[in-house]
Parts: sequence; C-alpha cells; structure tokens
Amino acid sequence: MTAPLPKRIIKETERLQTEPVPGISAQPHDDNARYFDVTVQGPDGSCYEGGVFNLELFLPDDYPMTPPRIRFLTRIYHPNIDRLGRICLDVLKNNWSPALQIRTILLSIQALLGAPNPEDPLNEAVAKQWKDNQAEAIKNAREWTKLYAQPKE
Amino acid sequence: MADIQERPHKKRRFFVDGPEQDASFEPQASLPDEIDALPEAEDFSSTANDVTKTHTDDGFDRDMFKAVTGAELREEAFKALRVEFGSNVERAINAYFDGSWKPPPVKKQTEESAFVEASQPHSSNPPASSTPPTASKPAPSPPRPPGLDSMPAKRYIGALGVNGWSTKSGSGLLKDGDVVKIERPVQPSGPQKTAARGGKAKQVGRKNPDVVVRFTDTRGYELGRLEQDVATWMSALIDQKVCHFEGHCIYAPERLRTNDTVILQLRCYLLKGTFEAANFIKPQENNRETGIFEAKETKDERNLRMRQIGLVKLFSEINLQPSRVNATTAKHKREGILQAAEIAEQYEDSSATTKKPSSGKSTPAENGGSSPPSEENEEGEELEQDQLDTLYKKAQSFDFNTPVAEPAVTFVMDLRKYQKQALYWMLNKETSQEPGGHKEQQSMHPLWEEYSWPVKDVEDKDLPAVSGQDSFYVNPYSGELSLDFPVQEQNCLGGVLADEMGLGKTIEMLSLIHTHTSPEQEAAMASASSKKVETVNSLPRLSRTSSTIEPAPATTLVIAPMSLLAQWASEAEKASKAGTLKVLVYYGTEKNIDLKTLCCASNAASAPNVVITSYGVVLSESNTVASAHGGNKGASNGLFSLDYWRIILDEAHMIKNRQSKTARACYELSATHRWVLTGTPIVNRLEDLFSLVRFLRVEPWANFSFWKTFITTPFEKGEFVRALDVVQTVLEPLVLRRTKDMKTPDGEALVPLPPRTIDIEKVILSPPEREVYNHIFARAKRTFAANVEAGTLMKSYTTIFAQILRLRQSCCHPVLTRNKAILAEEDSAAAESDIANGLADDMDLSALLERFQAEEGEQDAARFGSHVLKQIQEEADMECPICSEEPMVEQAVTGCWHSACRGCLLDYIEHQTAKGEVARCFNCREPINARDVFEVVRHDDDDDDDSSEQEVGRLTQAMDIDGDDEEDLYSCTQRPSSAPAKTKPPARITLRRVNQLSSAKITTLLTQLRHIKRASPTTKVVVFSQFTSFLDLLAPALSAASISSLRFDGSMSQKARTSTLATFNERPKFTVLLLSLRAGGVGLNLTCASRVFMMDPWWSFAVEAQAIDRVHRMGQTEPVKVVRFVVEGSIEEKMLRVQDRKKFIASSLGMMSDEEKKAQRIEDIRELLS
Repeated sequence: MTAPLPKRIIKETERLQTEPVPGISAQPHDDNARYFDVTVQGPDGSCYEGGVFNLELFLPDDYPMTPPRIRFLTRIYHPNIDRLGRICLDVLKNNWSPALQIRTILLSIQALLGAPNPEDPLNEAVAKQWKDNQAEAIKNAREWTKLYAQPKE
Repeated sequence: MADIQERPHKKRRFFVDGPEQDASFEPQASLPDEIDALPEAEDFSSTANDVTKTHTDDGFDRDMFKAVTGAELREEAFKALRVEFGSNVERAINAYFDGSWKPPPVKKQTEESAFVEASQPHSSNPPASSTPPTASKPAPSPPRPPGLDSMPAKRYIGALGVNGWSTKSGSGLLKDGDVVKIERPVQPSGPQKTAARGGKAKQVGRKNPDVVVRFTDTRGYELGRLEQDVATWMSALIDQKVCHFEGHCIYAPERLRTNDTVILQLRCYLLKGTFEAANFIKPQENNRETGIFEAKETKDERNLRMRQIGLVKLFSEINLQPSRVNATTAKHKREGILQAAEIAEQYEDSSATTKKPSSGKSTPAENGGSSPPSEENEEGEELEQDQLDTLYKKAQSFDFNTPVAEPAVTFVMDLRKYQKQALYWMLNKETSQEPGGHKEQQSMHPLWEEYSWPVKDVEDKDLPAVSGQDSFYVNPYSGELSLDFPVQEQNCLGGVLADEMGLGKTIEMLSLIHTHTSPEQEAAMASASSKKVETVNSLPRLSRTSSTIEPAPATTLVIAPMSLLAQWASEAEKASKAGTLKVLVYYGTEKNIDLKTLCCASNAASAPNVVITSYGVVLSESNTVASAHGGNKGASNGLFSLDYWRIILDEAHMIKNRQSKTARACYELSATHRWVLTGTPIVNRLEDLFSLVRFLRVEPWANFSFWKTFITTPFEKGEFVRALDVVQTVLEPLVLRRTKDMKTPDGEALVPLPPRTIDIEKVILSPPEREVYNHIFARAKRTFAANVEAGTLMKSYTTIFAQILRLRQSCCHPVLTRNKAILAEEDSAAAESDIANGLADDMDLSALLERFQAEEGEQDAARFGSHVLKQIQEEADMECPICSEEPMVEQAVTGCWHSACRGCLLDYIEHQTAKGEVARCFNCREPINARDVFEVVRHDDDDDDDSSEQEVGRLTQAMDIDGDDEEDLYSCTQRPSSAPAKTKPPARITLRRVNQLSSAKITTLLTQLRHIKRASPTTKVVVFSQFTSFLDLLAPALSAASISSLRFDGSMSQKARTSTLATFNERPKFTVLLLSLRAGGVGLNLTCASRVFMMDPWWSFAVEAQAIDRVHRMGQTEPVKVVRFVVEGSIEEKMLRVQDRKKFIASSLGMMSDEEKKAQRIEDIRELLS
C-alpha cells in the first residue's frame, strides 16, 4: 500500500470490530485495508428476514470526501438494487457527507432493505412488479432470499 | 665675479650661496642698505643651524616667570635673568616687578634708524602659538656674543643673477660694480607706504598686470628694466612687501645702448613686515559659499597666488633649500603649487565668465541629479569606485601592534582588543596637544618648510645673526612666512573614527567618554564631594543676560540621526557603571531644559555627561540662533550656547555636503574635542571628506580654497594620483578605519561574526493570486508595449512604474494593489492618477480582488447565541467528524455552527466546489461557503498580553497545519476578537472568520515562523518589507497565530520607536519585529534577533544587505539565517536578475541624473516585463 492509512479509516475499522452493529459485519482484507467484506442481515419483519447478504465495500483515496463504493455480491430482489448489486441510495451519491461513516452507510443499506423505494428504481422490472403487484414482489423477494441469501453453515 | 665666463643671454644664477659656501668674495661695503654685522658677529657659524630657543633644563622656569609677570621676554633677557638669579624664579619675579631688574636693552642697528624700531615682532601672539620647538641641546656654553635681538627690518636671504635691458643709452651710465636700485614704477598711492596696499591690489587685479621692475642708479635715475620672466614674479614680491632687492651691476657694456643686456646681481632681503601675521592678507573666510561660485578668483586670491609663485621661484633662483620639510608631503609639493597656479591661470583664460572655476566640468550633481532631496547641489566630481577603494585601502592600513588602552573603571563593557586600540588612538588624539603634553609629538606643519637664515652673504661675509632666530618658515602653498615654528596644529584634538559598520564605533566612543574627562570635570567631581560652594559661579542658573558661550567641561554632545538617539542612550547606560554617566536625550522641544545652565562649568558636577540630540535639532536651533539672537550663539540657552568638552557626530556623512544648512550648523558648534563617526568618510566625492575636515577644523584643510587648490583642482584636471596622495596625507593622521573582514596578523578575523546564510524561498502563488497577478501583468505589458509604439515611454514612465509597483505588491498580497497609500510611498502623484484611471477600467480586476476583500458586518454578534458557543465549546474536545482527529485540529464551525477541523471543513468545501456543487454542511447539508467558516480561538493558554495587542486586520488567511501544537491556531481572521467573543470560564473562545484566500507569502511566513518558534521558543525574528501596508496585513496575521509581533516604521514617533526597540530587546519570548525597509535600513542595532525575513526584493541588493546587517553585526552571537521571499515565476525573480546586473554598475542609481535614472529604469522595466 502506498499512502499510509488515514487515521479515520483506522478508527472506523477498529470501531467496527469493537462496537459491532447488530446484524452487520465488515471485515477489511488483509492485503487491502480499504477493501471490506461486508455482511448485512435482512431486517426483521421484512421480506429479507433471515437472509444474510454479502457486500463488498471499497474506500476510495479521497474518502471521506467521496463516499465508499458498495455493491451487493449476493443476488437480491429489490427495486433499488440492480442485477449487478449496485445500490441506489442518496447518501452514497449526492447526499454523501464526510460525517457519514461505513457504519452509518451500512445501516442505511439495511434500512433500505426494510423499506424498498420503487419510486426511485434502479431495477425497472423489479420496481414495476413492486408497484403492480406488491404481494407477488414480496414473495419473489422471500424466495430469492431463501435461494441466495442463506447463511452458510 | 671671477666665475663669469661668458656673457649670459638668459637669467642665470651667478652666485650660489649657502651656509657653508666658498668664501672668496670681498665684502661689498658699497651696498647702502647692508645691515652691518655687529662687532661680535664672528661666531655665528657655530650656532647657525642650531635651533636654540627655550631651554627647559637650564634651571630657570620661564613658563612660571611668564605666567606670573605676563612679560614676554627675549632670549637675552632670560639669559640675563638666569645669570642674575640662578634658578630662583621667585626672586626674579620680584625683581622684575619692583624694577630692580631691567631687561637688557635691545641692540640698536647701526644704520637706518627707521628700522631700529625693532620691537619684538611677535609679542602680540599668544604664547602657545609662538612656542618654538625645543632643541634638545642646552646651551651651557658661555653666552655667545649676541647678534641682533630681534628680526631686523629686513634680512638677507640670498643673491641671484638676473638679466636686464637698458632703456637708456650713453656711456659711463653703468659700470661693473655699480650699485643699482631695484624699483617698481611709482604707484599711484606710493609704493613704499603701507597705505599702498589698496593701490597694489588694484594694480594686480588688472587684466594685464604691470610687472615692470626697473633698476636705477643711486640717484633714482632709470637705467633699465629687468627681463620679463624675472620681473613677473619679482614685481609681486616687491609689491606685496615680501622682499627687498638690492643690486649691483656685474656686467654692462662700456657704452650703453637701449636694449642692451645688463647683468645684475641682486641681493634679496625678506622684509620684517612680511612675517607679521597681520600683514598677510589671507583670502578671508574662504568657506563662504558665494566665493566658490564666483566666476573669477578674487583679488586676494590672485595676490595670494602671485605671492606663492613668487616665493617658490625666488627660492629656486637663489637656490635656497629648505632645511626641513615634512617628509610625507615633500614629494610633489612645489611642482604642485606651480601647477595649481598654472591651472588657475588656464581657468582664467579659458573659462571666460561662463564656467565656474570651482569645477571645470559640469558634474552630474550640477544637473540636479543625485543630490539628496533637501540639500543643495554638491560640487566636485564623483570618485570612481576603484579610486575610492584605493583610498580606503590606504586608510585602512591599521597597525595591529598599536598599543591598547584600558578604559576607565566606570566603563563596564568588555572591549575587544581592536577597540582598546581605538581607545588608545583616540586618547592620543585628544591628549597629544594639551598644554604640558608631549612636546616630542609636536611636528612641523606639513605644508610649511623650514629655512635657515644664511650666515654668510654672497661674498662670504658674515651676516648678523638674530638671537633665537636661525630659521624662518615658509608655506609655499599660501605664501605665508613666519619666524615661529609652525606647529602642525591639531586644533581639532579629535578625528574621524571610520570603522566599518558593526565594529562598535559607539562603544569605542563611549569608552573614550568614560576614560578621558576634562580636568574641570574631575575637579568638579572632587569638590562636589567636599561641598565647597563657590561664589557667583555656583548659582544654579546663569544670568539670563549672559551672552557668552559657556564652557561645558563635563559634557559630550552626541549628534546622531533621529532613529539612533534611543540606541545611543541605551548603549550609554549599558556601558556605564550605574550612576557614573548622566545621559540626557535632548529634543530641543523641552522648554524647561536650559542646557546652558545645566552644563556650564559651575555645574560640572551635576551636568549631564552625555547630551544626545539629532541633526534636526541642531539645524532648527541654529536657525533660531540666527534669527532670534542675531547670530549670537551665547544668547540662547540651547545647543549653541556651550563650548563642549567633546562633540561626536554619528553617521557623520549626514553633513557630507558642506553647503547644506545642517553641515554649516554643525561647524558652528564649539568643543575642545571634535569627532566624527562614519563608516563612509567619503561617500562618493572628495568634497565629502572636506566637510568632515571642516567640522573637525583641521587646519589648513578646513579652508576650502586651500582644499580646492590641492585636492579638487588637481583631481578635476585628471591628476588623480596626486590629489589622492594629498587626500591620503590629510586622512592619515585623522582617520582610524578598520573593516569587518580585516584579519589580524595571526589570520584571525577582527570580529569573529557568526556566519550568515541567505536563502531564497520560492513562494508559489495560489491560483486566485496568480489570476490577479496575471491580470496586472498583462495590463502592464500592454501599457508598456503601447508606449513603446507611441514613443512615449519617458512620458508615461510614472504610469508604467506604478504598474510595476502594483505587480510587486500583488506578489505580496493582492489587496495591496488597492492601497493608494503604498503608491504614495513609492511614486506619489502621477502614480495615483494612474490608479484613479486604473480603477475606472478595472472591473475585471475588481472582481478578482473581491475574493480577497473582507466583508464587513455580515455576521453580527447577535447571531451567536450563548448556547451555540457552549455547544461549540463542548464539541471542541470531540472527534472531528471528517478526519476523526480527537480533539479537532483547529476547530472551526460552519455558519450553521457545526464543528470540524478547520482543514477538513475547508477541504470539503473545496471538494464540493470543485465538483461544481453547492457546498453544503457536512452535517445538516445547509449550503455553506468558505467565507462563512469561523475559526474557534481559545484563550485558555498564554498570551494574555498579546491578545490585548492584537489588532485584527481586515484580511488574512489560514495556513496548513500539522498539528499538535495546542495553543497555536494558525489562521487569520477578519474580525476583531472583541465582537463575537464570549467569555466562558475556564476557556474563553472567540470566533473569527477564516479566509483562506490570502497571500502565499503570508502563509509561507507563518509556516516558517511556526517552525522556528517550535524549535527555539525564544528566538527573535526581524521581518522586513518595503511596503508598510504589507506590514499592516502581517501584524494581524501574526497575532491571530499567537505570534507576538512589534512594529517599527518611519511614521512612528521617536518615543514609540524607542519603546518598540526596547520591548523587542527585552521580551524574553519569541517575538517578531515588523520593520519597514526604509526606516530600518540605517543604524539600528537588532543583534538580539537571529532570523531575518525579507518579504520582497528591492531594486538593489545593497539596500537589503544593509538591512540584514542590522542583525548581522557586532554583538551578534548566533548564526544569522536570512530568508528572502521571491514569488516564483514573477517579476520578483526578474528583479533579482536586475539586482545582479546592478552590482556591475559602479554605484547604484544614486549617481545618475533623473533622466539617466529613468532611462535605466525603463531598461529594467523592459526586462521585468519580458
């Protein structure tokens, strides 16, 4: 690694270990402290309940001036997440603020799972389904969760 | 006559006589005016060359006798006294007074009772000046037969042969051996009487002066005339009653025809009158300025010159050689006179009335060029640098083996060896001529020559000797003759201390002040302890009506430039044991100070020992004396009413122009000892030195016509070597000069100054600054190009120059270009009109500059609720939300009161702006902007005194931070700390607006200062800028960064300067002194500092170097590090190149005329804008 790791990243990483957020984990790679393996549990009471979703998170060089880059690795049926796992979330884009952290961003993503927003879709097909037939959409989501997001053990 | 071999056709010396010459001639009894030898005259030769005068060891105390009786007795009389009374002076005095002893009668001369009136020729002279040199041999021999007791009316000095031509024809008119009279044609008012002088003057002043010299037979019947070449000088000598000639014929044709050549031998006598000082008309007060510019020399001057030439020629004709000349001046001398005289003649011929004789060529100065603004024109050519170097090199031949003198015990500073040597030298200068001083140092005046009176005449007949007068003295330069030994009068009893700057001239002088006090002062100090009250003199004040100049025997007057007064005072204090030196700084404005009373002799015990004043005060008091007291110096109570023990002119080149009022005022001051201190006795003209010599009253050089004859005129005629040699002889006894780079014979430096390093710090402008710079640069270039095309370069010089100035300012800080005050500093009126124009068409620039301008009153105190401040304060210890530093580095808040590190906050704002987004608060996403970011300044640590000093200016800037330095908040603000401040114990916090759009130079300076402060917390730093308005910006920037600073510039009162310097000296912590280049360039001693920052380059590096030398000078104990700020890729870099080039020009712009200066600068500008 070229530049020494900024104090902020070190601190955030430490805190993610010492004061973990329930339902969320983030583990930096040994060879790249800016690259994290993230898991997010589907929020209780949502159609993703019981699922454990894997994400990858990367902190760019000018972090925290720019937001982290995050992508779902686990397939998920969600109107704001596309087939490649990309997430449509304002705090990851225009509403990013350096005051936000990995922790808060992951919480936002968890919250997004609990509250899909088909009005601002990334995955048009899923969003359409969600709007046309929400029950069907939720059913699909549960199935996908069972299919792809089961915790390994 | 036997040696006349052939008929000469030209003047020729027939008879060479001298003291020891062949004795084959018979006495010529036929000469009518011969002073016959006295009967006892046979023994003259034994003492002929002895200088037998006052004997101090013959047991008879003459001085005592003289002092008591007031009688001025002749040598014979003393001898008689001694014979009668032995060494008992008391008896002799009594006998003198009660009349029981009479001086022996004066021997009468045998002939010519008109001459018998042989009174003591010099009885009117004060004893001191007539003191003859001491002969080491006593005269124990039996009283020799006395010759004449005093100078006869005329005395033989030699003979010469001359050619004449007859105006008569006939036989038997003249035959060999006939006596002839030598006469001048009868003058209108009678040539033989003293009243004739007026007539003579008239005669000499004529265009073609009548120089006819006749010879007549004894009945006065004209026989012929002397040939012209002889007559020319002889006539002057006869007319001026210097000489009397008697002749007899040596050869004349048997039958005389008109125009026949006749050969005569003339015996020449010097007339007594010519030795009497009163008889000698010196060109009076030659220093009056009108005299200098008179188109023609005055009659007096011409007379003087004729007499001079006459004497020199006469002496050479009669082959009279000086028996003693001053060795150092022997060479060149006589030729010098003749040459100088010829030169004067040529001037007369060629210059008509158009040219000024004082300077054959017109000098640059006369074109009104380089003379200092307030001073009159100077005359004289400037010296080339190499000439000056040569001169100085000679003057610097300092003998390292000079003995040292220890200063008085009341002087508490340690002197270096060379300073003790200076003290020795100065003591010597001051004491060498004191009464009872060392006679052996009395030397003959360098311009005089000693001649022995011949003891035998041309026929080897003994001549009568005159007792006590075996020699006479001639000054071939002035034509003066004297019977008294011409002492090299060091009536200045002082000199020029010209040690280079930084060697401690002030300290050396102070050691002298302590070490050599007047006898009166010592007596006063002694009697002060015994409380002896005298009568009238001890009254506390003098009578108001006293109009004499009072002696001030305990007082040394120091005159220095205003800015140095305080330094003199403080150094005087520092150098003295407490209570041993009373110092008074005299501004002339204190109405209640009556210097005259304070310093007069009767108050010697309590008088101030050192009075320090400025040249300005001297000038204004001299004006007062001239106007209010009608020139009566004694009538005032100020500086001019006293005769000081000593006067010291510091930075004496201030009076280099002898015609300036200041210089003339200084000449008028009276003192026993006169000193000048200057690092540059000659700035660029030989006349500079004259003014010093004039002040010192070094005779005869203090006489300007004298100076002119032997220095200025030859110099202007291109005879540099000769002129400089003469200057050398003037300088040598007068000047002590050492330079910093002198090495002792052991190779050690005279003053081991710590090393000095000068680094150039390249400053990179921030993009907004660069924009401003580029804008101004483009405009300047356009203007220049347009003017080049229109050929109006010289006319628009000021405009262009003003634009260059703005460019330079924009390198310091963009807002400076908006400050008219700065322009006024540099180039006033025209520049301002340019600015006025500039403002009109300058909207772009305005927009650019706006970002640097402060906005006033936008955030008022009302918007700061106390809860906000409380919250801010609480957040201060928290982690930065952006970088996670804990606590925040330089907490700053947004307009919506959210805290983060200042750097993080500004970075983020910049980041967003760069992406073209509206900057929003990281926390609440309120739109924010960089100007609405506030620095939180906490006053929980030191610097309570500082915060009171802080003036918070309008604009400044923040700089990068690295750190952990808790107390320093490196940012600047635009708001006074008072407005938004809320005290909240324990820590008071203040919000100040951060403005990151500031100048790169300020940022760089703060960075460097901060590093220095951290590394050595007690260092003192001096920051120079030529723009006082830049200093105005620096001050708040420093104070915001908790760096304490002081300010020193030309606008400050003397008092403020004094206290500023004192504070800077004494403050025990890191302090920065902001100094304007101009106010701080001269004289100041800032050795307590060891770091120097030059914020902007000046046109010539010499000026900067001088400023640097304020710090790097004697007394500096630490290595000095200098940083020169230069903005990369800017006009400043080019200025450095100009500076380099200027080093090759002999001198700076100072020596050029205004036109040349402009042309030179245009050249510079062309380069600068390239």
